[in-house]
Amino acid sequence: MPAERRSLRSNNKPDTSSSANGEKANSNSQSSGVKDKAPTTRAAANKAKSASTKKDAKGASNDNMGEDDQSHMNGSKSTENGVNGSEDVEMGEDTAGAPTSSSNASKDRKSNEKMTVVVPPTKGSRSSGKDKEEDVKMEGAEDGDVENTEPEVDPTTKAIQDIKSNFTLLERAVAHFDPRFTLRVLRSISSMRKHLTPEVLAEVIVETYSASSSTASFLLEALGQANAFENAPASSQMEVDSDKKPIPKETLAEVDAYLSILVQIYLFDQREIQKGVQFSTSLIERLRALNRRTLDSLAARVYFYYSLFFEQIAPLPPSPAAAVTTIRQPLLAALRTAVLRKDVDTQATVMTLLLRNYLSTSHISQADLLISHNPFPVAASNNQIARYMFYLGRIRAIQLQYTEAHSHLIGATRKSPVSQVARGFYQASHKLLVVVELLMGDIPDRAVFRQPALERAMHPYLLLSQAVSVADLDAFLNIVNTHSETFRKDGTYTLILRLRQNVIKTGIRMMSLSYSRISLRDICLRLGLDSEESAEYIVAKAIRDGVIEATLDHEHGFMKSKEVGDIYATREPGEAFHERIRACLALHDESVKAMRFPMNQHRLELKSAQEARERERELAKEIQEGDMDDEDAGGDFDAI
Amino acid sequence: MSDLQSLVSELHGAIERKQFEAANELLSRSKRALLMQNALIPTPSTPPQLVALARQVLELGALASIRQTDAQLFTRYYQQLQPFYDLERHAGMPGQSSSEVDFSTSQRSKITGLYLLLLLSMGDSANFHTVLEGLVEEASLKGGRVEDDACIKYPVELERNLMEGSYDKVWRETKSERVPSEDFGLFSNVLVGTIRNEIAGCSEKAYPSLPISNAKNLLFLDSEGAVIEFAKERGWILRDGRIYFPVEPEATARSERDILVASGTVIENALGYARELETIV
Repeated sequence: MPAERRSLRSNNKPDTSSSANGEKANSNSQSSGVKDKAPTTRAAANKAKSASTKKDAKGASNDNMGEDDQSHMNGSKSTENGVNGSEDVEMGEDTAGAPTSSSNASKDRKSNEKMTVVVPPTKGSRSSGKDKEEDVKMEGAEDGDVENTEPEVDPTTKAIQDIKSNFTLLERAVAHFDPRFTLRVLRSISSMRKHLTPEVLAEVIVETYSASSSTASFLLEALGQANAFENAPASSQMEVDSDKKPIPKETLAEVDAYLSILVQIYLFDQREIQKGVQFSTSLIERLRALNRRTLDSLAARVYFYYSLFFEQIAPLPPSPAAAVTTIRQPLLAALRTAVLRKDVDTQATVMTLLLRNYLSTSHISQADLLISHNPFPVAASNNQIARYMFYLGRIRAIQLQYTEAHSHLIGATRKSPVSQVARGFYQASHKLLVVVELLMGDIPDRAVFRQPALERAMHPYLLLSQAVSVADLDAFLNIVNTHSETFRKDGTYTLILRLRQNVIKTGIRMMSLSYSRISLRDICLRLGLDSEESAEYIVAKAIRDGVIEATLDHEHGFMKSKEVGDIYATREPGEAFHERIRACLALHDESVKAMRFPMNQHRLELKSAQEARERERELAKEIQEGDMDDEDAGGDFDAI
Repeated sequence: MSDLQSLVSELHGAIERKQFEAANELLSRSKRALLMQNALIPTPSTPPQLVALARQVLELGALASIRQTDAQLFTRYYQQLQPFYDLERHAGMPGQSSSEVDFSTSQRSKITGLYLLLLLSMGDSANFHTVLEGLVEEASLKGGRVEDDACIKYPVELERNLMEGSYDKVWRETKSERVPSEDFGLFSNVLVGTIRNEIAGCSEKAYPSLPISNAKNLLFLDSEGAVIEFAKERGWILRDGRIYFPVEPEATARSERDILVASGTVIENALGYARELETIV
């Protein structure tokens, strides 16, 4: 194999680099890790691709297959031939079915990559062979996606194909150490969810694992299909025999985790909560033993469903003895492990799960302690950040830190996905945000209530903000009473009760603006307060808190407003301007940070720079030589 | 177990008779006894009678500490009581079968109310609301309101009035007949002190001057002599039977300094923008 590889590269070499530094580049990539090799050959393949025709591409892949054959010589020959034969047919079909040269070339490129990337020879060739097979299937699946509406596509086979094609992505994620492939797999779950049946899952498991595999029996047991291996139809048994059994291939831990997630989802959708609880608990045990960074995002998802199951069982959350409290210990342990392993995905997910857990039983101080001791990973996925900000905003609002709560909730609403699926989160965070804005003495923007996604759900909050903005204490209390059920359900009731003083403050401010002098008695009447004394104290407090600019006259019992100064003479506009500029600059920085650069791109640039220098030098040399020639010639000429 | 029972009744008597020395001694003995039986923290395996006894010991300890005005010790007892109260909350949930633990002797609302009042008197409103949030949630699950419980209602109303600024209501609430139990009365002095300081702070800003006789009423002080003393403490100027509140330093001088500070920040900001622009363009 290594010899093959080298020859492959040396063929490509003239394309990429001049012969002078070719040796150097080669030795470079040889000495550095596996990852480095992929881009160089990819570049080579890219260049080759532009030159090669479709036929060439096919030829290349045939070449690869030849390698396969060679490397499997030491394996059992007959079975391998069978596999290769079937591959050949599929290849043919594929080239006929998808005649675009780009797909072909890209496939060619992929297989090339595989050839060079995977190090152990037997396994590498094995997986590359499989890879191609899966590639074909994946393309078929993508076609299937396009023709989704057509009834002839059997959902079962399609689901199986989908799942299997995801295995390829997972393998690629492991090989390239690129979490994007894993994320793609996780994204596809939602569309696949409807088609999950125990039969589909069992079939995939039977085809993926050998009968003796403990993972397989573990998964099948959870599905209630424990004897799937015996039940497998004879024909497929044959295939299984010939395909898998002779080489007990190691399935990737990622594939295990992926299938487990599917099983979890299936159990959850079937409301088999008790079973799911058991399955998830033992699944977590299995996962904790593994330490693979490519497993992180999958593990995070496993924890998510794990907690979801526990939220559904018997003593339900508001009770302090709820079942969710029992998973705090495992979750905290998972958090610790994730932090130690720098596993950002699991860390972020488990943090939000824990916060949700604590808040569900109103253990707010514990949640606060958790936050104060654990920094949230900055690199977490957007959804986790949105969730975290929501919980944080809620906790801060309860603790009367409205400014902080406001900024967190703004973040949560902005980061919240606006799609249909996440509408609940969008509404919940907006509700909280509106209440916090009211508590801060601001009146929320009317446009918030007009969004179609929010209009109905936010109606009580609209009435509330109207009451606060006109400072009508009676109307406010009315609304709180009539909608108290809704507010309690949304968890905003206690916050809304705190609004009473804001209503009063707004009222005082309005009176201070409209009257230059008003008696305390009038204030008392207008605000519906109990006594004049109360009114006096309240106004005094408002003056001290800076709500209004006024003085009180105790002997005559009136409030005298001060002249309102020119706001533009103060520093306020400047500060607001500065605030905005800072926000814009922060946005710019964030977007620069968010840009993604292909791995090892700088090496290519370095090389091309080196090439250019080389060329320049050669050119200079040529010119020099040319000059010499000229001189020589001139000299000759002169001599003649 | 019977040992513990007698300890508890002794403890009761000691606290009733206000013999705190003896009570403290009894408390440490009974806590040791609890520890021996591993009942200081309730576990599912703890026998129900023991749970009730342990809770009683801790509650008595909390009451004893509050009567000795030891806030830290009280807070510690309160924290220790939380697992017991969680059990009670759980049993109180609708649809829960009644557990064997006897909750009739529980003084949960009283202890919680006292804790709320303690937080209020310390001005720790963040924690106050954190505790309250849990209570409101629990009450609304039962279909009631927090205010249904007299011991909880008292601190809740006090807080609401304090935040609103109706200090006269707070003053009236702290009068003896409104206080739900004598233990709550212990906080009255602290609270009156708090509101007096609040009022003083507000008055400084709100009034240019105030007759001493009016100030007496405003500050809930008993005599004009007390007003004069209080005024001296805060550094107010007394002249012709009126209080003149110290005016803030001259407006002109302040604005000049303001401008200096402001121009400094403006220059700083502008330089910052220039630097950022340089990096972007």
